[in-house]
Amino acid sequence: MASRILFVTTDQQRFDALGCNGGRIARTPVIDGLAASGVRYERAHPQNVVCMPSRATMLTGQHIRNHGVWMNGVPLPADAPTVAGLLNDAGWRTGLFGKAHFEPFLDPFLRFPQNRMGVTGATNEDGHPHRGFERMEFAGHGSGGLVHYGGWMREHYPEHMMSFYPPLDGTLDVNADGGGDTGAPQVLRNPVPREIYHTDWVADRAIDWLGGLSDEDDWFCWLSFPDPHHPWDPPDSELHRVPWRDLDLPDGYPSNQTEREVALDAKGAHWRRWYDGDLVSNFEAPARWVPATLTADQVREVDAMAHIENELIDEALGRLLSTVSNRGWDDDLHVLFTTDHGEFQGDHGLLFKGPFHVDALMRLPLVWRPAPTTGIAPSVVNDPVGLVDLAPTFCMIAGIEVPDWMDGAPLPVTPEEAARRQRPAVLTEWDSVHPGGSEVHLQTVTLDGMVCTRYEAGTCHEGVEGELWDLVGDPLQRTNLWDDPVRRALRDDLVAELDALLPERPADPLRTQAPV
Amino acid sequence: MIAAPPDEVWSVVAAPERQAEWFPGMVSSVVEETGEGTFRTIHTASGAFIREEVLGVDHGARRFEYRIIGPFRMEHHLGRITVVPDPFGSLVIYEQELEPKALTYVLDGAIADALNGLRDLVVEGRTSRSWIEPTTATGIGGST
Repeated sequence: MASRILFVTTDQQRFDALGCNGGRIARTPVIDGLAASGVRYERAHPQNVVCMPSRATMLTGQHIRNHGVWMNGVPLPADAPTVAGLLNDAGWRTGLFGKAHFEPFLDPFLRFPQNRMGVTGATNEDGHPHRGFERMEFAGHGSGGLVHYGGWMREHYPEHMMSFYPPLDGTLDVNADGGGDTGAPQVLRNPVPREIYHTDWVADRAIDWLGGLSDEDDWFCWLSFPDPHHPWDPPDSELHRVPWRDLDLPDGYPSNQTEREVALDAKGAHWRRWYDGDLVSNFEAPARWVPATLTADQVREVDAMAHIENELIDEALGRLLSTVSNRGWDDDLHVLFTTDHGEFQGDHGLLFKGPFHVDALMRLPLVWRPAPTTGIAPSVVNDPVGLVDLAPTFCMIAGIEVPDWMDGAPLPVTPEEAARRQRPAVLTEWDSVHPGGSEVHLQTVTLDGMVCTRYEAGTCHEGVEGELWDLVGDPLQRTNLWDDPVRRALRDDLVAELDALLPERPADPLRTQAPV
Repeated sequence: MIAAPPDEVWSVVAAPERQAEWFPGMVSSVVEETGEGTFRTIHTASGAFIREEVLGVDHGARRFEYRIIGPFRMEHHLGRITVVPDPFGSLVIYEQELEPKALTYVLDGAIADALNGLRDLVVEGRTSRSWIEPTTATGIGGST
């Protein structure tokens, strides 16, 4: 009897994107079905809220300071240990299809192996597994980029190469151009046919690889959808699914300007400075876009586009699961679904992401549908878990001892098991040093229904500020309790816990080698 | 540091058409003289091209200066390579000024590779010219 793991990730997806998490817009019956027959996690947090550090954590099972990828543009070292490598060494077949981003994207001189693979069409590194994957086929956020999807589009559908939104502008900064009906940044009407959109291509490539495996093969398949990360340019043919004019504004969007700005001022200085266009701390959002200009209609349109993309993901996943089921593999199949980080999508009056440790960016969808043969009962786990726990979970499923270099622990499958975990706290870190001169450093611990973020000294903070959020009493995170004298002892305890859990910073941090 | 006499290192740096021999990821470096100056077109392994203007080749100071003029919209760019005598042989200083900043890290990392490539070419006669023809490539990558 073979063991099989389907690891499904999206990019920049909110917790409430899914029906099973209370989402009311996108129809996601496939993922909801997995949740209904598996374990749904109410509070899964990333260890960093941008792609490369978070994905490095998923692959290594390590905290940011231990794998060293502290920001986008910092490549995961070539010799970093990976869970895919462990599985492949143990005889598992391993494949990754879609967005990897373990190495920088912006790479005109092709310095990084993944970009060389994307350009040449190679599916491994000179005949050898790359980071433990024997087959890799990459996609990014559009038809461009140094990825296999771009080569496929250029070969078969050259007329649609320019149909997608260009993520970068002529200065190579994140594009701020607006589109759609509302002029929202990174929104575009895309005439590309749905069948050749990257979401379906990713599923097609995985299905093709799975078709070559035998019934006896143990396999680990990472299905990595690039959506619903911006740009928000789903195929035009699908826009009827969610008419943006019909949408209510999200609960997290303060539509009153005064209310919105008062709430921002209650947070750290970097919130309001970014909102006012006075701070560029990173390359994750368009530098030329000023969040204060975001309109309610733009929030609705972005929301609609993202949810259309969520529906396409759900359908593509369903197609792949049908293929697996037709092979008679379902009983032995573990499916884990999550994302790398969240998206504001209007919360707090903002879009995109950045140095902001609140639920919009930190509370992630996570579902584990254990193989039915395990007999694990459906459950909901409320205690916090981290993406750092994924790789150890894969080890446990595979019957491989969790190695010492992994920081996480296998995910609990019941509330009781979660309560027995030695340290139910989860860490999240942010470090950004922008060549324009700004520097922001945040360290966060989530524990006992509280999120506590300490700001280190930088160009926005003196090092004494922070955030303290009561997840139960203030789910929209409007009242910052950091300076509340009544909560001072609690804050001190959480900061002490943070210090106890944080690994040492590397003495020689890895160098940033691209903006993204 | 390169264990070779400054004049030997400078003879390579001063020849703008030779940069693809020592800059990893460059496929070709084509120089053209026009009535308006000296220009260089770099083709990279990813299929991108970079258009540059050669601002000066100062043999006395062993200093080569250029600026990127396209296709990216740079408000300001100045690249400067200086070869300085050193007890070890030669010290090569490769500097960049640029605005906006998005290319900063890309150039920084590539230049670190290039300095190693220059050493390999001068000391060992080993070229780093890219092995990938840019016919199948698309550009420079990107997206967040």
